[in-house]
Amino acid sequence: MKYAIAVGLLLALVAPAVVHSDSILAIAIYGFMAASLAVSFNLIFGFTGQLSMFHAASFGVSAYVVTILVTTFKWNFWLAIIPALVVVMILSLIVGTICFRFKLKEFYFAVVTMAFSEVLRLITLNWNSVTNGSLGITVVDKPSIWTPSGSFAISSGVSWYYLTLALLVIVYIICHRILASWIGRCLAAIRLNDQLGETLGIDVFKYKLLSFAIGSVLAGLVGAFYGFYSGFVEPHYFSIPLGLDIIAMVLLGGVNSLIGPVIGALVLTALPHVIELSAELRIALYGSILIFVILVMPKGIVGLLTSRKHAA
Amino acid sequence: MTQLVIGQMLNGVIVGSLYGIIALGVTLTFGLTGIVNFALGAFMMFGAYATWYLYDVVGLPYPAAVLGAVIFVSIVGYISDRALFQFTRGNLVNGLLVSIGMISVFEALVLAAFTTTPKDLTYVLPGALHVAGIVLPKIKVAVCVVFLAVIFGTYLALTRTWLGRAAFAYAQNPEAAALMGVRTGRLQTIVVVYSTALAGLGGGLYASMYSIEPTIGSAYILKAVEAAILAGVGSVIGALGGGIILGVSENLGSVFFPSAFRDAYGLVFLIAILLVRPGGLFGDRP
Amino acid sequence: MLLDIQNLTKRFGGLTAVSNVSFGVERGEIVGIFGPNGSGKTTTLSLIAGILKPTSGAIVWKDRDISTLTPFEVAQQGLVKTFQNPQLFPELTVAQHMRIACHLHVKRALGIGRLRTLFSGMPAELDRTLEHKIGQMLELCRLSSQRNDEAGALSYGGEKMLGVAMGMVCDPELLLLDEPASGLGHDEITNLDAVLRDLKSHGVTLCIIDHKVGFLGRLADRSIALHHGAVIATGKTEDVLANEAVVAAYLGKKHA
Repeated sequence: MKYAIAVGLLLALVAPAVVHSDSILAIAIYGFMAASLAVSFNLIFGFTGQLSMFHAASFGVSAYVVTILVTTFKWNFWLAIIPALVVVMILSLIVGTICFRFKLKEFYFAVVTMAFSEVLRLITLNWNSVTNGSLGITVVDKPSIWTPSGSFAISSGVSWYYLTLALLVIVYIICHRILASWIGRCLAAIRLNDQLGETLGIDVFKYKLLSFAIGSVLAGLVGAFYGFYSGFVEPHYFSIPLGLDIIAMVLLGGVNSLIGPVIGALVLTALPHVIELSAELRIALYGSILIFVILVMPKGIVGLLTSRKHAA
Repeated sequence: MTQLVIGQMLNGVIVGSLYGIIALGVTLTFGLTGIVNFALGAFMMFGAYATWYLYDVVGLPYPAAVLGAVIFVSIVGYISDRALFQFTRGNLVNGLLVSIGMISVFEALVLAAFTTTPKDLTYVLPGALHVAGIVLPKIKVAVCVVFLAVIFGTYLALTRTWLGRAAFAYAQNPEAAALMGVRTGRLQTIVVVYSTALAGLGGGLYASMYSIEPTIGSAYILKAVEAAILAGVGSVIGALGGGIILGVSENLGSVFFPSAFRDAYGLVFLIAILLVRPGGLFGDRP
Repeated sequence: MLLDIQNLTKRFGGLTAVSNVSFGVERGEIVGIFGPNGSGKTTTLSLIAGILKPTSGAIVWKDRDISTLTPFEVAQQGLVKTFQNPQLFPELTVAQHMRIACHLHVKRALGIGRLRTLFSGMPAELDRTLEHKIGQMLELCRLSSQRNDEAGALSYGGEKMLGVAMGMVCDPELLLLDEPASGLGHDEITNLDAVLRDLKSHGVTLCIIDHKVGFLGRLADRSIALHHGAVIATGKTEDVLANEAVVAAYLGKKHA
């Protein structure tokens, strides 16, 4: 598996030299961002067992904060990421503290996080003076980086490709390091039997909150970049369907694996472009995949691949 | 002002009854199968579209169209139980995700068949009653009566028939009911189908008051789940009450506060209730 | 005194499950709590472990009242409880269970320095210590041969033993055992008896509850008999067992 991941990364690094199609690059860029979202979501859902419906909201809040700071207040893009992540962290700590302090589990946790993200969506939708309501904000600025030969705007497809690939690698490594550490063991204990974990001295509340906050902040990191690539931010970012897309990606790829969500996200991002589909049928396809995966292959693509290997 | 408040009260009771009968389905399904059927909103939307189709396109009289829609939705409910839900019994997260997947599929199907253009049936019963200077649209009064009749009928069915009492007992205490020999498999299917039929009926009546779009179900299922949690999961009759409380408070709330945030009031109220009484208003299970 | 229970009372609505219970546990001894089903044994243990909060009374652990602490804080204080119905982490192997149970050990060894392991991984020395300790504990609990089996595949007795092993690897100063013998066969009880004696010889303090008088009677240095949530006798195990009130309330009822 490790070799497969390394080969995949290597291929991803050299791909732009071979592939010159802008549309394929765009699919890859959206795929990398979706994969980063899915990996960070899986930290909360797959590894800690908490079905958060707040992920799209973390993503959206950060996208809005960065965009408003850059377009309205003329901040530097990279500097604007910091307050955006701080805002997401504070929100996730508040929501997480309320949910976990009162021991809301499974369904209750899902519904209450959904409620919080709906409230945030309504605020974005109605706070016209700042968020421009349902129309959203158009983003014309592009982030730039400094090089010895002057500043270099990240506007071309290839530069965005490497930027988002780096984002995915960073998110992946952070989650990997966390799961390989003692924190990963605590999260597994919470997911599998939190009562037992508690009697063994694990601070269930603290580690649940930690996983929720880290996952949400990583979603915020993706959100910060997303609007600058797509060119606009809109209240739709907070929507429940976006949250469901992330769940579908994670389940399709494999819920108890780190690389699974990456595979699921890339497949589901590319699929509508590979087969010509209308918007309605695309939604139907996502729904069907969700149902099919849960009932027929609960361990996702990765589960399918690894069980083949065991059988062979 | 009186006209406004009473009008909004009536709206609140109607909308709340709609929340309530879907919430009743949510509670019963949860009690018997251990899953939350988020697709009930989509079944409601199906009911609304089926009613519209049977009335407007086929040309049936309105009550027959509603009846036809309820039968159609029940059949879809039965198929979905046999094909999907029976495999997720007791697994809350899987059941939730399967039902959410069904919403996407149903909405997309309706969208593909009937487009996003809202359908309108609000002319089936025109006119209004004038009572002591207050104007009440006839259709709303009629729908309100039907809802109350359905709620009362469901109450009788749950408390007076053997099957209903079994479902009632099971929803409140699955282990005990299983011990008493309630045949769970068939009962589970009956409850899943009954819940979808109620949602379908709700949709059929909804169609006569408001214009319908493929996404109406999603808004209503969220409210119904809110109502069920508000009442306390496991509290069957409380779910109906929870729905009406939610509907009335939303509608009255938007008389006095900005109505753009009306959905948020219910959610904030729900969060507050959960924190103070984790078991809900009428429930005692944490 | 290591643990001092003072006038502990727990009411659930109108029902008084534990009524004005007081007793103490000295370092190094095995204390038995017994009584028929419903006499308040498990409730008492849950109160001590922080799973339930007492209505009134104090639980003094090393001169400090711990009755308001949460279960994990109680465990961090060195007071670990096992479950009557074995609790497992589904899907994980015996060794992985033990590794999770080493949480407190790692925490004590590294403290805030654990953050460094996010970059550098677990120090090899600590890793060896843990492996050694896990091996030792599995040996003691007769689980070495099933080390890499999925815990769900263990027998009922094996699952209970794993519970004891996980509790022990937390380095408790006092281990609370909730009916360790219930549901076990004759051979498994003999095995459990030997394990608990081994633990005692390692200097572990034990507080065991059970309704099997025979098993506990052989093992406990001192006993407390509960009936309807109240202490009806306390003292040396053989004296308590011979106590008339105990015989009447407990044995009498059982054989009636």
